[in-house]
Amino acid sequence: MIAVVALIKIIVVVLVVLGAVAYLVLLERKISAYMQDRIGPNRVGPKGMFQPFADILKLVLKELIVPEQANGFVHALAPVISITVALSALAVIPFGNYIVIGGQKISLMIANVNIGVLYILAMSSLGVYGITLSGWSSNSKYSLLGGLRSSAQMISYELSLGLSIIGVLMIDGTLRLDRIVTAQGSGLWNIVYQPLGFLVFITAAFAETNRLPFDLPEAEPELVGGYHTEYSGMRWGLFFLSEYTSMIVSSALIVTLYFGGWSLPYVDYAAMFPNIAAIIEIVTFLAKTGIFIFIYMWVRWTLPRFRYDQLMNVGWKIMLPLAIVNLLGTGAVLLAVK
Amino acid sequence: MTNNGNGKIKPKMTFWEKLYFPEIIHGMTITMKAMFRPKFTRQYPEERWNPPPVFRGRPVLVVEDETGVERCVACGLCARVCPSLAIQVQAAETELDKERYPELFEINMLRCIFCGFCEEVCPEEAIIMSKDFELTFSEPKDAIFGKDKLLIPRSQLEDRLEFLKQYR
Amino acid sequence: MARLTIVDDPIGGKGKTVEVENGTTVIRAAAEVGVEIPHFCWHPGLSIAGNCRMCLVEIEKMPKLAIACSTQVADGMVVHVNSQKAVEARKAVLEFILINHPLDCPICDEAGECNLQDYTYSHGPGHSALEEAKNKKSKRVSLGPNVVYDAERCILCSRCIRFMDEIAKNPTLTFVERGDRVYIDTFPGKELDDPYSMNVIDICPVGALTNREYRFKARVWETSSTEGICVGCSRGCNTNIWVRNNEIVRLNPRLNPEVNNYWICDNGRLDSYKHVNSEQRLNSPMIRKDGVLQEVGWDEALAHAADALKPFSKDEVAIIGSAYASVEDNYILQKFARQVIGTPNLSFLSHAIDGDEDNFLIRADKTPNAYGAREVGVVSPKGIDVSRIFELIASGKIKALYVMDDDLAASKENEEALAKLDVLMVNHWMKTRTTDLADVIFPSATYAEKFGTYVNFAGRVQISRPAVSTLERERVPGRFRMSRLDNFGSTFDRWNKGPRRNVRSSWEIVSAIGNLLGGKMRYQSSEKVFEEVAQAIPAFKGLSYAKIGYRGAPLSKGPVGKKSKEEVAVK
Repeated sequence: MIAVVALIKIIVVVLVVLGAVAYLVLLERKISAYMQDRIGPNRVGPKGMFQPFADILKLVLKELIVPEQANGFVHALAPVISITVALSALAVIPFGNYIVIGGQKISLMIANVNIGVLYILAMSSLGVYGITLSGWSSNSKYSLLGGLRSSAQMISYELSLGLSIIGVLMIDGTLRLDRIVTAQGSGLWNIVYQPLGFLVFITAAFAETNRLPFDLPEAEPELVGGYHTEYSGMRWGLFFLSEYTSMIVSSALIVTLYFGGWSLPYVDYAAMFPNIAAIIEIVTFLAKTGIFIFIYMWVRWTLPRFRYDQLMNVGWKIMLPLAIVNLLGTGAVLLAVK
Repeated sequence: MTNNGNGKIKPKMTFWEKLYFPEIIHGMTITMKAMFRPKFTRQYPEERWNPPPVFRGRPVLVVEDETGVERCVACGLCARVCPSLAIQVQAAETELDKERYPELFEINMLRCIFCGFCEEVCPEEAIIMSKDFELTFSEPKDAIFGKDKLLIPRSQLEDRLEFLKQYR
Repeated sequence: MARLTIVDDPIGGKGKTVEVENGTTVIRAAAEVGVEIPHFCWHPGLSIAGNCRMCLVEIEKMPKLAIACSTQVADGMVVHVNSQKAVEARKAVLEFILINHPLDCPICDEAGECNLQDYTYSHGPGHSALEEAKNKKSKRVSLGPNVVYDAERCILCSRCIRFMDEIAKNPTLTFVERGDRVYIDTFPGKELDDPYSMNVIDICPVGALTNREYRFKARVWETSSTEGICVGCSRGCNTNIWVRNNEIVRLNPRLNPEVNNYWICDNGRLDSYKHVNSEQRLNSPMIRKDGVLQEVGWDEALAHAADALKPFSKDEVAIIGSAYASVEDNYILQKFARQVIGTPNLSFLSHAIDGDEDNFLIRADKTPNAYGAREVGVVSPKGIDVSRIFELIASGKIKALYVMDDDLAASKENEEALAKLDVLMVNHWMKTRTTDLADVIFPSATYAEKFGTYVNFAGRVQISRPAVSTLERERVPGRFRMSRLDNFGSTFDRWNKGPRRNVRSSWEIVSAIGNLLGGKMRYQSSEKVFEEVAQAIPAFKGLSYAKIGYRGAPLSKGPVGKKSKEEVAVK
């Protein structure tokens, strides 16, 4: 029974996320267009609403080109690793509290594990394998450089990412994401206690998802397409999917850790009919996540890319000390309060 | 900007600029404002564009309306100056005053880079850049324009000829 | 001897010292040290006219400027070629010349190799100071069958008149009228139809005299020019082969004082390359199957040829070489005949036309390499000549015949005799009556498609270089002269679609058959073949492609002294 429920949850989440990704691409193109005084795709369907289907159809129909000297197996495997890891991180995201179906409480997260935060950190670091392997297996200098940059970048920013989360963990005293949400729901959101931690976290999250201004693994002007230079068709599409999935995951995580997840201030879900509460929770959560996805895109079309040395400087000389300061400060304050 | 002596020029930044985040916010307000500005996109196939005379579309050969004879004397200078070797000319003798005419004049529009050197070098003002920019082909051989496509009556090219008279 | 100094620096300077014979003119002395003094009417091969005044130079201690073409050198003379005074004088001369010369270089055929254009670029202001209309004169005047004259472009240097008088010794041309109405015409009732008439086109410093065939066909800068040898007769005039789009567009004489000087006959210029461009070229090996000639691949045709030769005894096979083919071809053929087949029936046909010669360039022997063919040994050890071979064919003693680069079926009897053969193999570049009768045909490369050496009637070895690429031989830098189009063309360009023929050098064909029959004839290039020729044949001793170069080299005077006797025997 639990397995069936879990399976249904997985299918629903994956389908919704993949569908969302398709439309996020359209959204990103529209946003970039509007920021550049254009109107963006408007030919396929009303206002370009069916553009994602055209894009996907194009990707599926395109030839899969594998370079002659490439390692064919790893070349095919790399995008699969990328998308799998990106999707797996969704398993511990709490979309809401619970719904009641047939008298049974069903939690609105796929797996309520008690090390949720660690699991997400683990998954996001695994994401680097897909990119590094794709870079290595393509047997192309551009891909290889992209892959190498990706590994270096991930290692540099993972530390700050982890350290900034510890502040939240110290305040809420749990690794379970649903408890972090409930803890915030009953009081103030963590952003109030952890403004510095939040800044460090969101910056590191940008770096972890390879989004501008940290998209050095792709860096079109220098590396053609970076790690996916030698990819085409749906294999390339998988990288694309995983980039957007990671973006959703990290937005969801920011919301969960710092913005109270599905909770809303001055709204008492316990007083409501449980299923109505669940719907409001989900909508709340998705709305908050959407805002951060928009910020992701907004930043991308505003900021230029860092240079590689600047990236390393920021990572080691600014982000890491800030994260440690934040950690020590939080500890000291907590001690003082207690 | 100050020169720190190493030959590197370092911009002098205020404290707020050094903080970086306020500047990010500043940049993001600019892009956000841009989202509500009017758009300039032209709905191209429906909304046509008549380029100004400075526009360099595909090169064409001028045909005199009165005589129906092309101005070209097949000197081959356009073919020689063409940086992408798009032009091929085969001259032949004619009884007309101009002595020679192009028996064959072909421009490979896949090679053409619309630089306008051919127009500039032409001693007869015979090859000029038209306003035609809609060039699509489904096969490489379709992209080789012969005299059938290149010869255009002068009356259709007055804009450009007038422009050349004024500014060249 | 006189020692003089030539200063070509416009602001003075040290100059170049040169020592020349007394009586030499300044323009020649300057040329000795590589200084070109602008000139129109002066031509090194003609007498001095001194009428264009373009070669004005400043000579120290002379009150006025002097024309370099007729001023004789004196000891201690200092000549300023590009001093301000000299250059301004020449500018004025140019302006006078350009008063009536039309400024329509884009139309003119000479553009790109025009002296007037070059000097105007180096001296002229780029625009005309005159507003008056230019003189109208007659254009497209047909002076003769091959030469068209444009009076407007003519600058009246009189080179063509002097050429006809002095070199062709056939005075035909003259000035007519006076002043600015003067033009050049033939004497009444005469036509410019001399066998050397077309040299006036080359020496014309502007585009006034043009080649009726080449007129308005191609631009010089589109063509590549390759150093070749004329194959029209045994003189072996040096030529430049001008190629565009892999087709020969014209031939020009190339300076070689030992052979043809600056000149070439009209026949050689017009006809000695036509067969290269011909529609009648063979383009694939062919085998007669069921009475019909069918195109096959090289390997199949070579194997067929080798198999077809096997059943015959050595006396039943005859091999005929060619005075049209190169030294390398003939050497390989005689090696094939002697070492692989072992036949005594080996000879080649003479194509001399008695009486069709003059004492200038044209020779009676209409082949370029009769001397070379004899010298490398395409001669029967038993004294069997071509007519004897035909007798043996007619009597049925010779059953197989290999013919290289020649057409044997000249007469009815010969044709009947060839029809009698069991096997007739021909390699030739064109369809001929002989190839029509052949059982196996190999298409061979013409002189313009391969490296080949030819020995002219006076025993001078000269190289002809490939100007046209074949199907197998790409136009590669270093081996080929290449024009801009050749350098940058791609397969999509029309100019790269010129005909490329599926041909091989005759020596390649013969050595391939020889190797199939157990011979050992493996060479990488014709240069390697020639290296072997230089070792094996005493007359060629010490020669190599590098040594022959662009001007040729004489055969060494070895023990071969019976030239005249053999010449008689072959004729």
